[in-house]
Amino acid sequence: MIKVENLRKEFPLGRTLQKELATKEKIAVAVDNISFQCQPGRIFSLLGPNGAGKTTTMRMLSTIFKPTSGNIEIAGINAVTNSRDARRKIGFLTGSTGLYARLTPNELIKYFADLYEVSDADFKIRKEKLFDLLDMNDFQNKRIGKLSTGMKQKVSICRTMIHDPEVIVFDEPTSGLDVITAENIISLIRDCKNDGKTVIFSSHIMSEVDLLCDDMAIVHKGKLLYNGTMENFRSNQQESSLTAEFIRIIHESNAATV
Amino acid sequence: MILKIFLKELKDTLRDKRTLIMMVVIPVLVFPIVLNLFVTVSSSFEKDAAMQRVKIGFVGDAQSPVIAGFLEMPAAMGKKDLIPYPNEKALLQDVKNDSLQMGIIVPDNYQEKMDSMEAVTCEVYYDATDLGIKDRAKSYMEYVEKSARDKRYKSMNLDETKFQVILTNYNNTASDKEMIGKLAGGILPYIFIAFGFIGCMYPAIDLFTGEKERGTIETLLTTPVSRLQILIGKMCVVALSGLLAATCALVGLYLSIEVFNLVDNEEILSIVRGILTPSFIIMLFLLLFPLTVFFAGVMIPIAVYAKSFKEAQSIITPLNIVMVLPAMIGLLPGIELNYMTACIPVINVVLATKELIAGTLEPVLLLLSFGIMVTLAMIAVFVSYRHFGKETNIVM
Repeated sequence: MIKVENLRKEFPLGRTLQKELATKEKIAVAVDNISFQCQPGRIFSLLGPNGAGKTTTMRMLSTIFKPTSGNIEIAGINAVTNSRDARRKIGFLTGSTGLYARLTPNELIKYFADLYEVSDADFKIRKEKLFDLLDMNDFQNKRIGKLSTGMKQKVSICRTMIHDPEVIVFDEPTSGLDVITAENIISLIRDCKNDGKTVIFSSHIMSEVDLLCDDMAIVHKGKLLYNGTMENFRSNQQESSLTAEFIRIIHESNAATV
Repeated sequence: MILKIFLKELKDTLRDKRTLIMMVVIPVLVFPIVLNLFVTVSSSFEKDAAMQRVKIGFVGDAQSPVIAGFLEMPAAMGKKDLIPYPNEKALLQDVKNDSLQMGIIVPDNYQEKMDSMEAVTCEVYYDATDLGIKDRAKSYMEYVEKSARDKRYKSMNLDETKFQVILTNYNNTASDKEMIGKLAGGILPYIFIAFGFIGCMYPAIDLFTGEKERGTIETLLTTPVSRLQILIGKMCVVALSGLLAATCALVGLYLSIEVFNLVDNEEILSIVRGILTPSFIIMLFLLLFPLTVFFAGVMIPIAVYAKSFKEAQSIITPLNIVMVLPAMIGLLPGIELNYMTACIPVINVVLATKELIAGTLEPVLLLLSFGIMVTLAMIAVFVSYRHFGKETNIVM
């Protein structure tokens, strides 16, 4: 389970950034006091346009960034005060994640298993299962740099799952991927849900959200505009499609800010 | 965990062709190439200088003792053509436009001066850009002067040895090893330091900026490994790469001498063989280890801050000059290892290595130099950690 309470993230703005953003503000608020919960066995989607604060939120959940204030609980562990233990429970996958091109999938997966302190016996079982599931056996000893995008994505998925995490964070996992590779990810997200894992994923592809999600939140300019079940969202929507409803909510928020 | 990170990063680094070229290939080749070039150029220069026939123009009486001295000169002193000139202006013109290598003006009153037992002043012209000609002109004129002096002593029935009041014998108390250590010993540490720096450069950029650029750092930071462990694991690889590059330079020196036989001077050979001993190598690495950690510590904050490989390279490359410049100061004569220079980073390593080669290194100064470098290395690790810990620095 993921529990987020009053989460806020500020970034200091140096002179260069102040100039670039044409502002005199000394800080930029990327995430502004947001709260939500993701339940095990359900898929939670974080939606928002570019620059909304999705990636910053995901980075705080995966403990790469420390929140300025607020609290995050990952599988019962306080991720702010005990980030190291929380990290053992998290699998993190993004569409833009790079891999070590000079290693083979075998070496890379072993390396990450070691970092997560997976025992040799568990590693053997999990590796065999994941390699079979993702059809990775044929290229397990080829250098990653020589693999296709689809193959690389399979390696990324395997790396995310090798320590059998309770919580999986997907940050725009299908962005820039072809239809077949994206489908692999969608199927993985569904499998994770069926396995009773807590899944959170950020995206701006509405069809994916419509297909997968049980719960969702919309963020814009760091603020939470909606938080609830998909069912509730659909029953209250004023527009004909999910995309149109999303755009309406964003425009309404912009108008209110002006 | 640090060991696991270290081993993975080392494997990754050793598979990078660009790093391998900078870390292994170039350092191994530099000594054989430089020595080969030096031997070829110097031997061909010596050969050319001896074989070259010089044209010497003169103005004045061909029967004068100066010109006569030239004609009496043994052939071993080099081949020469003596060409008479009608006037000083034409002679000077030809020296300037390189038609003549040397020009001599014998004064018209030379006979008068000879008769009155006075010195005859001759003007010798040469173009010093023609390397070696000044020394050749000097040796010719010394021969001519001695020959004329001998004749004068003879005409006066004087014994030349009676005019030698003080005879001086100059004795060098320094051993050959010390001489090499003090005079040329600075070149070796300079090369080791330069390669130590270059060896650190690519791994530092690749393991920090490269990870950022490729997006791999994000996944690494989501593992339950602390940033300090990641930093130390990576830093060890960067420092080891610098040491490896310096080792390869040492291997290159060994190959030049023992395999390619590029040095045929027995004295130099025995001295260099005397330097390449296990104890020297251990002491050298004792000094180079904290130095490469210091280099790594200077490079890592830059590599962490830089947003691209290019940006990191453009900042670190000029830093090479700043870091290696003190090593060049160590090459200057008169700069010795003392309590003050032992406290200046890089210079202390160069000077300590020089003393080590010469066999005159004082243990206290070695310890002080080592202590200073270790302290700086620790500060460098701390600074790197501060930068590596900054959120804005580690993700794009």
